[in-house]
Amino acid sequence: MKIESNGDSLCVSEIQELTAVTSASFRDGVGYAINATTSVIEIDLAQTRFMDSSGLGALFALYRATSKRDGLVLRLLNPVPEIEQLLELTQMQQLFEIVRR
Amino acid sequence: MAAPSLEPARPATLRLAFSPDIASAREVSVAIRNFLAEQGVAEKELFSYELCIAEASNNAVEYAEGPCRKLKPIAEALFTPTQIELRVTDHTAGFDLMEKIPPPPPMTDRGRGLFLIQSVMDEVRYLRGTNENILVMRKKRRTARTAVAAAGHDPGNPPSLEASHRLLAEIRVKMARMSDELLLRSETLASVFRCCAELGHIDTNTEIFEGKLLVDLLHLTSADWYVLRTLSPDGRKLQVAAASEPDLVSDPIDLPAAGGRPVGIEATVASSQTPTRFDIRESIDLSEPLRAVGPVGAGHVCPLCFGGTLVGTIAVGRRNGDFPLGRLQDEVIWAFAEFLAIQALSHRRKKTEVHSRVVARELEIARDIQHLLLPRALPQLPGFGLVGGWQSAREVGGDFYDAIALEGESLLLMIADVMGKGVPAALFATTMRGLLRGLAERSSDPSQLLSGLNRLLYKELSSVAMFITAQIVLVDLQARQLTAASAGHCPPIFIPAGRRRASTLPIRGLPLGVMPHTAYPHQTARMGSPAALLLYTDGLTDTRNSAGITYGQQRLNEWMQEQTIPGRSAMELRDRLASDLNLFRGDAEMDDDQAFLLLTEDQDGSAKRPFAAPHHFKLRHSPALFPLSS
Repeated sequence: MKIESNGDSLCVSEIQELTAVTSASFRDGVGYAINATTSVIEIDLAQTRFMDSSGLGALFALYRATSKRDGLVLRLLNPVPEIEQLLELTQMQQLFEIVRR
Repeated sequence: MAAPSLEPARPATLRLAFSPDIASAREVSVAIRNFLAEQGVAEKELFSYELCIAEASNNAVEYAEGPCRKLKPIAEALFTPTQIELRVTDHTAGFDLMEKIPPPPPMTDRGRGLFLIQSVMDEVRYLRGTNENILVMRKKRRTARTAVAAAGHDPGNPPSLEASHRLLAEIRVKMARMSDELLLRSETLASVFRCCAELGHIDTNTEIFEGKLLVDLLHLTSADWYVLRTLSPDGRKLQVAAASEPDLVSDPIDLPAAGGRPVGIEATVASSQTPTRFDIRESIDLSEPLRAVGPVGAGHVCPLCFGGTLVGTIAVGRRNGDFPLGRLQDEVIWAFAEFLAIQALSHRRKKTEVHSRVVARELEIARDIQHLLLPRALPQLPGFGLVGGWQSAREVGGDFYDAIALEGESLLLMIADVMGKGVPAALFATTMRGLLRGLAERSSDPSQLLSGLNRLLYKELSSVAMFITAQIVLVDLQARQLTAASAGHCPPIFIPAGRRRASTLPIRGLPLGVMPHTAYPHQTARMGSPAALLLYTDGLTDTRNSAGITYGQQRLNEWMQEQTIPGRSAMELRDRLASDLNLFRGDAEMDDDQAFLLLTEDQDGSAKRPFAAPHHFKLRHSPALFPLSS
């Protein structure tokens, strides 16, 4: 997993999978990287081949932590079709801005 | 077994027990994904199956509590072209699975796992047990034909080249599987027929037959060990009858009484009469006998039963844990188990028949011997009556009596009870009778006679752990004097001189065959007039009625006192005693033989008749040994 901070934006990428094994490190890693000036968080899921309900739980925890900050944008980038279906099935696509680039 | 020429078609099943932690659960879901990929499952489907195994495995780890946290959950995948079945066995308290879980609201933190499983699979069932539950997840797959049709091809039009290749590949897999199944079934049948043919030979040894059959079973199921256990005759233990290697032979396994909990895999299979698969890594019981197959052994345990009758168990498997599991393997093992059970039951029935015939013949011989043992005629003495009574229980026993007339109006009476039944008891009785008659030519002292009999019979009796209780009474009819010695036998009953109360002579002595050198002290007593003396075996006093009450010593004494009155012949008294015993016993079964010798005086004892002994033995005893007064 790679976390890049560029001014007020934070980009998390190279996430191979988001599962019960990796969700805690994802949550903690991203949590530490967010600072007071962060206004955009982009989670790049292009390389994420697998995600389970714990991974969904980690995304939901991130949403909950950031939703209280006005103006902070949380985006999910380029999810593979299977993960996009997973987000739709659990109606979590309502919580995030999903962007394809 | 020749390998099939087409693609090998081992059952497309993967079964993995994993350590109860999240990292291992993840490894298992990846392994199952890869396994399904090898079976040709499309990439887009694989995500769903991986997700289901991951969710179920995570739950199995997360919700295990207490000692169950040490137990390994199991993940399984069963692939067929038309269906994929996933199973996860957990060791948790379990939960109630709703028929249709509603979608959890997006703002929820938990509860998505089971919803996802139900969403992607066609059928989800949760089988609950005690600290062991199985989540079964099934998904129907489109067959090659429907896949082709679904791909947009009209059945009337030729399919695309790609679809045809796919269809051909699936048909090849199917044919290879059918070919393998046919081969396995025909090998099973061939093995069974071979064994049936061998059973036709008269000299076929059952153990050799079982061994050959079990080796065939190993080949057919790719197993590398087996343990055959048979039920002990009392039905309480499973003992090893055959094992592929000596290190697999372990102690008999106890089976619980009705309602009890069996301990160990084989005992559980025997008690439930239900086959099971096992992986020794999942067993927490350190005393499990199948641990002998090694720390990672796995296999199948099947009960040997036919028509509801349990005969034993058969366990087969592989020491390195990669025992192929599948429906076909199960069926082959079941077929062998049933065949073995039938053969074992048939063998047992034959043995029982032979044994019954032997027992019946032995009984016949023993009855003949016993009949010869009892004197055809007892010495008939002027003025006295001597009668014997004998009644046999169902089995032939060793009760017998004898009477020898001696010089000088004396009688030597003997009654004995050989411990045991059948031919051995009857043979000892015959030997003893012969020995007594030989010894009586040299001495008529009951003490000396019993010591002599014990000395001569001790070695043979003790070598077969048998003993004889016996009593010898020398009766001087003129003096009405009794001299009696006893080898652990019931005390004789008589009416003493000057009294009308029956009395016993409480003489002590060890039974014959217990100690090599034993003294048998004698006692003397004077009989009253008219004389009455009863020698008997414990079959009389131990006669039991249906209420469980025994006839007893006191009742027998009272009978003597009341019945032996002047004017009643010995024969009449014998019939009265037999009748009284039968009346007392009523409908109850006779437990033991009954034998007795009854000596009475015909008249009131005042008139004496000349004595004549039909069987005359010349006595050579010292007068000092007979302190009898006339």
